[in-house]
Amino acid sequence: MRRDIFQAIADPTRRAIIALIALQAMTPNAIAEHFDTTRQAVSKHLRVLTECELVTQEQKGREIYYSLEIDKMKEIDEWLEQVQEIWEGNYKRLDALLAELKQAQKEERKK
Amino acid sequence: MKPAEVSTPSDREVLVKRSFDAPVNLVWQAYTDPALMRRWLTAMPGWSMPVCEMATHVGGKYRWRWRNNENGQEFGFTGEMLEVALHSKIAHTQMYDPGDGAFGSMGGEPSIVTVTFNETNGITNVATLIKYASQADRDAAMSTGMTDGMEMSYQSLDGVLAG
Repeated sequence: MRRDIFQAIADPTRRAIIALIALQAMTPNAIAEHFDTTRQAVSKHLRVLTECELVTQEQKGREIYYSLEIDKMKEIDEWLEQVQEIWEGNYKRLDALLAELKQAQKEERKK
Repeated sequence: MKPAEVSTPSDREVLVKRSFDAPVNLVWQAYTDPALMRRWLTAMPGWSMPVCEMATHVGGKYRWRWRNNENGQEFGFTGEMLEVALHSKIAHTQMYDPGDGAFGSMGGEPSIVTVTFNETNGITNVATLIKYASQADRDAAMSTGMTDGMEMSYQSLDGVLAG
């Protein structure tokens, strides 16, 4: 089954893993040290991220290093950013409208 | 107020959360009175909302339509009210209406939009959950935002990594 990339990045632990390995490639053990969770749980998160092609693995000696696919991440980030900007544009206008309605209500009460 | 938070809780859903510095009765008014809706629900600069028919009873039909003031391009949404709870919840179906076709079609199944309102100390939290009929529909709807040709500032990884 193909993993859903948006679902993958909705999880806070997976987002934290992404932030961590964006800085440098890391082994599952090194990643697990940053979290209050088991090595198994971290491996499971890494598997989900790998299935979405958000991270890649590389064997170096006896260790496997995980690194972030920056381009793939950027693509998703831009996508969410666009959606966010459309909504926020509406909401900023709504802020202004609500301020106006509040003012009108206040003046109404004074009468 | 903090900017809107967009997340994807499942493979068919998009959740948008935002707080407003106003009591829920005013937010509700802005969400249900067509004259007020037109003033903020314009989607993007340079667009107007020539059609804004709203319904606030279960089974009622609504119709929203936007127009690009420059090139006349149109698109809209239509649907039916599934649930209306005063000052707390609106749920409706939502069908994409591609207007002149320039936006492309997005499949026939409606999505379900649920907006919940929650006031605490004069601040109203609004959560909008859009449940698409399929993952493909969701991806298509999200990519429409990208291809509208809007002047959007592409932020780098920072947003996600800081979060």
